[in-house]
Amino acid sequence: MEKLLQFCNINKSFPGVQALSNISFSVKGGSVTALMGENGAGKSTLLKILSGDIHPDDGHVSIDGVPQRFESPYQSIKASVSVIYQERQLVNSMDVMENVFFEDLPQSKLGFISRAELRRRTQEIIDAFGLPIKPNDMVGRLPVAYQQMVEIMKAYRRDSDIIAFDEPTAPLTDKEIEILFKLINQLKARGKIILYVSHRMAEIFKISDEIVVLKDGVFVNSFETAKTNESELVKAMVGRDIGDTYANLKRNENIGGVLLDVKNLVTKDVHDISFQLRRGEVLGFAGLVGAGRTETMRAIFGADPIISGEITIDGKRVHFRSPKDAIAHGIALCPEDRKEQGLVLGRSIRDNVSMPVLSKVRKGPFLNTKSEEKLADAAIKTYSIKTPSSEKEAGELSGGNQQKIILGRWTSDKMDTKILILDEPTKGIDVGTKAEVYQMVCDFAKLGIGVIFISSELTEVINVSDNIVVMQNGRITGTIAREDATEESVLQLAMHN
Amino acid sequence: MTKANKFLRSKHFSLLVLLVLELALFWALSRNHSFLKLNNIRNILNSMVIYTLLAVGGGLVIVAGEIDLSPGYVGTAAGAVMASLLANTGIPWFVVVIICLALGGAFGLLNAVLINELKLQSFIATLATGSFIAGGFAYIVVNGKTLEINNSALELIGTGKIGGFFPYMVIISLAVIIIYGVILAKTKFGRAVYLCGGNREAARLTGISPKAMSYILFANSGILGALAGILYDARLKAGNLTGTNHYVFPAITAAVLGGLSLGGGHGDMLGCFLGLLIISGFNNGLVILGVSPFWQNVASGLLLLLALTLDYFTKRRAKGGRARGKTSTVL
Repeated sequence: MEKLLQFCNINKSFPGVQALSNISFSVKGGSVTALMGENGAGKSTLLKILSGDIHPDDGHVSIDGVPQRFESPYQSIKASVSVIYQERQLVNSMDVMENVFFEDLPQSKLGFISRAELRRRTQEIIDAFGLPIKPNDMVGRLPVAYQQMVEIMKAYRRDSDIIAFDEPTAPLTDKEIEILFKLINQLKARGKIILYVSHRMAEIFKISDEIVVLKDGVFVNSFETAKTNESELVKAMVGRDIGDTYANLKRNENIGGVLLDVKNLVTKDVHDISFQLRRGEVLGFAGLVGAGRTETMRAIFGADPIISGEITIDGKRVHFRSPKDAIAHGIALCPEDRKEQGLVLGRSIRDNVSMPVLSKVRKGPFLNTKSEEKLADAAIKTYSIKTPSSEKEAGELSGGNQQKIILGRWTSDKMDTKILILDEPTKGIDVGTKAEVYQMVCDFAKLGIGVIFISSELTEVINVSDNIVVMQNGRITGTIAREDATEESVLQLAMHN
Repeated sequence: MTKANKFLRSKHFSLLVLLVLELALFWALSRNHSFLKLNNIRNILNSMVIYTLLAVGGGLVIVAGEIDLSPGYVGTAAGAVMASLLANTGIPWFVVVIICLALGGAFGLLNAVLINELKLQSFIATLATGSFIAGGFAYIVVNGKTLEINNSALELIGTGKIGGFFPYMVIISLAVIIIYGVILAKTKFGRAVYLCGGNREAARLTGISPKAMSYILFANSGILGALAGILYDARLKAGNLTGTNHYVFPAITAAVLGGLSLGGGHGDMLGCFLGLLIISGFNNGLVILGVSPFWQNVASGLLLLLALTLDYFTKRRAKGGRARGKTSTVL
């Protein structure tokens, strides 16, 4: 019998928002159904309901026609549902095999965990994936991409009938994405029900059979992948036609003199890095995950130690011993991991915006809350951050809005930012907001700011940047101007040996 | 959310409710309602002095996301050194006091070195420096005996009262908590403490130095610990072996009860003060009612659990029914 998963009239509200209203649709076995929508559309909430993590106010999930009431993730797993979240649910201090067989460790007759059996069965799964890791590698020491694959192995091992992926490819490189897609196709051939959440259009077209679009917690429409196209989907997600994002960008036409000159920079992660950033230029940094782009920028920003090399700003040699020195020289860094390194989630938007300029919002020895509020309100207005007030905790906002808080922090009128480093600024952000971010990047350049734009999405880094530096294995392998850049040429530099 | 509404959902409000309930209970039960007589209120404040100093120093460390278990022991060591110097040398008393405060600061710096340079966990590092090194040091200094202190200035500080009624020591402790409360709430330094406690790396990447912060806060906690030990011995007119050792856990408990969460990044000195008041008032009330010391311990444990339960429900209401304490972006 063909498997069937149905969402029936699901409603869910959180304080102040209706996260899902009356969501109904069904998903057939033996096919991949993509779930699309902007941030805040309700995709993650829906997956959390499927996994039993949160409970709907109304409505239910039904499997093969039988209504289910999941009180906990455990019940959902028992009902043959596996949900793979963006945030990995792994125990870093345990090894691969213990994580993969987490709630179902094979036991010997005496009730001890059978390590040999565990190793053998994990090795089988690793072989099926074709990855160069060992069953007893410590998960916390694996690169992020492999950690994500371990998470996927866990679902694969459970052999669940229903498998949901929430942005599975975000930390993966092309090689693992290929492996993942091959696996998904195998699972599909075996009649599994697969839900796939992603913001990446190209992937959706490659892997899915059906596409369900949500917007503001409401079911908009479903499409057969073969019979739809990108602009139709974007229109459904955004509710309007956003046109050709890149062609519509208002770019900076006046690129000035050299602002930042990096010569032969060496750290423990990168080697012989040399490049120049000009005033008003958007300099893209492309490469695979782990190519050393983040490490390069952290070193320039004074966050990690430099072994050798020269950094010159406006013709003056600089030595930064800490981010504080770099900030004093007008450098700003928006880190890749917003939650871990960017924001203090438990503090208000106001406190997060004023962080680097606390000395400048003082009245005598005390902080002047009024002028902090002014800064935050300006950021909220400039970047249209969706919030009732600047008092709201940063952790309560969506990813896109959190990113805007960080941008607001570095571009407030108390800052004198000359060099803005954006590390994966569009990661996990929806289509509509992405387009906004691209225009912001160009607007910064127009102000004469030199912008470094790191992105693992080839299309965006090629189309937004004026020049693209490509890195691989801790080295720069080439620099291409936008006019000459194609996805193929960049990818070749990123992967060449 | 209106201001009044926000207050009703705040930590301070739930602490006030608890305090009022406690005061009403003991007022009703105490003979002649003596619990709320001026005399007894003074007694409660007087019993809070040592706890307050330790809770302020240790509390700031907690807000910054670490923990300091050493200040009570450091206080004992400082007090012992004070008694010994006064007894065996001719150094003037105020110089002795400064030396002892510096000793407290030095212990704090030692903690900071262990935690920041050798990357030890603060729990272990401060337990080692405090309970073993500082505690043992105190024994060595006084040679295992109680040393009497004969110094009129210290006696005045330790036992003197304004108008023969209100102890100087209470004034000192209240001044300390108010000054640190203002620093934490209103200054750049105070904000940086919160930011480091909330997210150390994010704070560092915006130009704040969590390491410098850590050195300052541990040194400060050591100095306040030494001050607590000095005042304790001044009141007792003797430097003894255990001094302020047993004050540190109740002080930390009061701070946590007052909303300084052990994860860091949250809480303030007003909450800390209310927490101290609740615990000290409770202990005092039990004594007044003549409850046996053994039952006092049990009762204190129950009070703590009650307070934390109350806190859980307030938090849940503030989050609109979501049971999880963690803030998460669900949407």
